[in-house]
Parts: sequence; C-alpha cells; structure tokens
Amino acid sequence: MIKQLSVFLENRPGRLANLLNILESHNIKVLAMGIAEAGNYGIVRLIVDRKGEALEVLRGANMAVNETNVIAINLNDLSSAVRTLGDANINIDYAYTMDCQRVILKVNNEVEAIKALSGAGIKALEV
Amino acid sequence: MCTYKLSKSELVELQNKRLRWLVKYVFDRSPFYRRRFIENGIDPESIRTKEDLRRIPFTTKTDLRDNYPLGLVSSDLSQIVRFHASSGTTGNPTVVAYTKQDVESWAELNARCLEIAGVTPKDVVQVSYGYGLFTGGLGLHYGAERLGAKVIPASTGNTKRQLKLMKDLGTTVICCTPSYGLFLAESARDEGLDPKRDLKLRVGVFGAEPWSENTRRRLEEQFVESAHDIYGMSELNGPGVAMECVMKDGLHVWEDHYIVEIIDPNTGEVLEPGEKGEMVVTTIMKEGMPLLRYRTRDITILDDEPCECGLSHARIKRILGRTDDMLKIRGICVFPSQVEEILMKTEGVSPHYQLIVDREGVMDRLMVRVEVSEDFKTDRLTDLVNLQQKLEEELKDTLSIHAVVELVEPKKLPRSEGKAQRIIDMRKI
Ligand SMILES: [Zn+2]
Repeated sequence: MIKQLSVFLENRPGRLANLLNILESHNIKVLAMGIAEAGNYGIVRLIVDRKGEALEVLRGANMAVNETNVIAINLNDLSSAVRTLGDANINIDYAYTMDCQRVILKVNNEVEAIKALSGAGIKALEV
Repeated sequence: MCTYKLSKSELVELQNKRLRWLVKYVFDRSPFYRRRFIENGIDPESIRTKEDLRRIPFTTKTDLRDNYPLGLVSSDLSQIVRFHASSGTTGNPTVVAYTKQDVESWAELNARCLEIAGVTPKDVVQVSYGYGLFTGGLGLHYGAERLGAKVIPASTGNTKRQLKLMKDLGTTVICCTPSYGLFLAESARDEGLDPKRDLKLRVGVFGAEPWSENTRRRLEEQFVESAHDIYGMSELNGPGVAMECVMKDGLHVWEDHYIVEIIDPNTGEVLEPGEKGEMVVTTIMKEGMPLLRYRTRDITILDDEPCECGLSHARIKRILGRTDDMLKIRGICVFPSQVEEILMKTEGVSPHYQLIVDREGVMDRLMVRVEVSEDFKTDRLTDLVNLQQKLEEELKDTLSIHAVVELVEPKKLPRSEGKAQRIIDMRKI
C-alpha cells in the first residue's frame, strides 16, 4: 500500500504550475500524477518520492492537501487485477498510470483488495 | 457610574419625561427641527409620551448630508467640545458634535456595556477599533477607563504588535470587529500561538459589522472565552447604544438614553415587538446633536420581554443587515448575514467568503466564492461537488434565489483588517 497526496486546486491557468514549482524547489520528485476536475476546481493526485516533506511544504503554502491510501501494481497485471477485484466485490474509484509500467489504483477497501490480489498472485508494489 | 438598573415603569416614566424635554429643547434651539415641527403642524407641547413620537417625521442620513456640516447641531456652538465624522462613500461625510455632557454620557454607556458583559476593573482591555474620527476606538476607550480597567489603546492594524501586546500585557478583554477577531486568531496560529492556551482573553466585544451565531461559536472556540455583540453608530454617539449581557440573547438598548422603534422600511409604519424591520432611534439625552426618529438603516427585531440577567432595558436582536447593504437581486432582498450563517455551519469551508453580483442580459446573477478549509480531507471529486451542491441548495432555501457557489483555495480571498469587503456588485444599473 502506498500514500497518495490529494491537493485541492482552482481550475485556472498557473495553479498546477505553482504546485509543481513548490515541489521542485524543495527537490521533491513527482512519480505519478492524475487530475480530476469539475468546472472551477479540481483535485490533483500525486505520488512523490518524499511524501512527508511534500505534505509539510504544501501545507506551509496554505494548500488543502491530504493523504490517501492507494495500491500500485504492474501494468502487466492490470486485467487480471481488475477481474480479481471485481470478483471480490471491491470497487475501483479511480486509476492512473505511473511511468508506463505501473498503475495506481484507488479502491474502496485497500486491505481486502491487497488480500484478494495476493491470493491471485498479484503483487502490490512499493514505490 | 449612575444606576441603570431601573424597573420597567421607572424607565418608561424617565423616557417620557426626557422626550418632553428633548422636544422642547430642539424646538427652541434647532432651526432644522423647529421648521420640521411647524411645516408638519406639530405642537411640541402635544408630544407627551413615546406613543406620540409617531406623529413626528423621520430624520434621515440625507437630512444630515443636506445640512452638512453643523445644520443639525442644537446646542450653542460654544458648548461643543468634540467632533467626530463618519466617512461618506459619496459626497460629504457625516459630522457629529458632542457637548461635554455628551462625552460623559458616552463614557458612561460604554462602561455599562462592558460591565454587563462581565468586564471588571481588574481587566486589561485592548481596544483594537480605530481611533480618530471613527468613534469605535475612543468610545470603548472611555468606557473601559470609566469602569476603572486598564486600557491598551492599540487601535487597528499591525497584527503582529497586537498579538505581542496581548501576550506581554496579559490582555483579558479585546474590543474589535468580529472579522478582525477571526483574523487575529488565525494570525496567532500562524505565529505558533494557541490563543486559547497562550493568551488570556476572557471577553470579546465585537461590533461595527453584522455577525452571526456561528461566528460567535468560532470566536469562542478559537479566540475568546465569551464573545459579545456591541451596537452603535456615530450619529448616536458611537459604540455603546446596545450591548449583549452575559445571557447573550439579544442586545440591551440603554432605554434611559434612547427610544427605539422598529418600522417597515418601505411604508414607515411602526411594527410590533417581534417583527423584523428597520431600527429608528430617538436620542433623549444628547445635547449637541440630538436626533428625533433617526433612521439607522439597520434591520433588527425588538424584544421587550424581561431578560434573565435582570435588566429591564429592552433588547434588540443581532443586526440582520442594513437596508443599504441589502442586495436586491432579481427583486429579492438578500443580506450577507444570511449567506454567512449558512457558510459558517458547513463543514469543509472557511468563514471567509465573497459575494459577487453581476448581470447577464437582464438577469442578475449571484456568485458566492467560498474557501475550502485547509483540513478538508478528500481525494474524491464527488465530495467537493456534493459540498458545492449542498451549499447551493441551502442558499436557495434561505434566499429564495439561485446562487452559484465557487470553491476557491484556502486563504485566497482578501482578508480585511477593518470592515470586511465582502460584496462586489458589478451590475451596471
Ligand atoms: Zn440581559
């Protein structure tokens, strides 16, 4: 299980750049990113290399940010993972890819999901 | 301090006696009121009781402007010892003139206000209202001094210094606008202080802008032990016209100095206690610039039931808004306080907001910009969409018009150190 940062941002030019600039200026590397938007605002989901520090600097910049548990799997395992989770009655809320080889999944029950996946021989990755 | 703990019948008797004095006084001395009486065929001798007041025309802000600067002064100019002025957004400011006795009364009324909120001579009172032409600072300053408390005349601005004074001098009573109170609390936290632990604020005296029960809750959670509403305006001396006692269920109006009526702002008809309308005040003790039936443009409700604190002075409800702050949107009256009330009880948004009205074609549109609070925990867009929809539904229920809610990032809306700049009206009419 890994931690994702979820950041509330206004949907305006420059807001995302501002967020990434803050991280970059603290030498925090973004490993994966997904954006969900609804009109005037959105949520940016990030996997970073130094999560604790990222949380601190973003809060210091008055951003609404929090942590969420997500699961990373190999892209090769995707279809069997989705099938396994469906069979276990676990819902996938959203997903996005990471470096063309891995997929980040947000499910409604991470503990059960990891159990089901490992039962099917699918490994949940660490970052 | 003279006693103000009179019975209801003593109060009414005193009011009628002072009203008779006032009517004769202005008829003899004020060319403005003398002309008013004569033009309307009113015999000053015929005004005997509060009920007779209804026959006298209202005095309005326009009357003060038209007679700028000193046309409504009743006393001899040689008796005037002080001027204050309130800023006019257009044209002339409003000038008010005080005799020595007026300044005395003003101090006395503010001392009473502090006393019924539980302030004692042992308290350290930081006055963070503006000093100068604005009456807020000096009014509470005099009150605290009259009560025998220790006064810190901090005035407005310089938030860091305000917090330092509070900490180093052990301030126990803070007097400022409620929005500045919230701002001070927020600034204290930014400096690593927990106001409830690191400061000793017992009582907050908050006025000069309308606020809500939810703001009280926030102020009491984050800043002071007990937050009290104070009411006043420079035309009526300044702060100290009415104040919340320890029961915090309405503001006692000092009825031995002021007669309050509530009217329908459109028809001028006097309403019954319990009905919402514009507050009209007659000053029965002022000498310099007494006013008969002055239209305050503040909307409230009169409550003449006895208060549990034992005072018989009638109470007004919190100011619900001003007749001229009142936004008319598609013909419907909207008060910012109504919007504030909803935003403040909603989890996930901060107490800071902005109302923007514009016009598309012939249709007015209301947009409410609200800050998502920093600790709003979600990674799901649906939670935000639900929050927005919930706010829009509640606004629609309360205001009877549709408002678009726009969620913005924390601390993005302008903070004001004085009266909050919360309304932007972009309609070109
Ligand atoms: Zn009371």
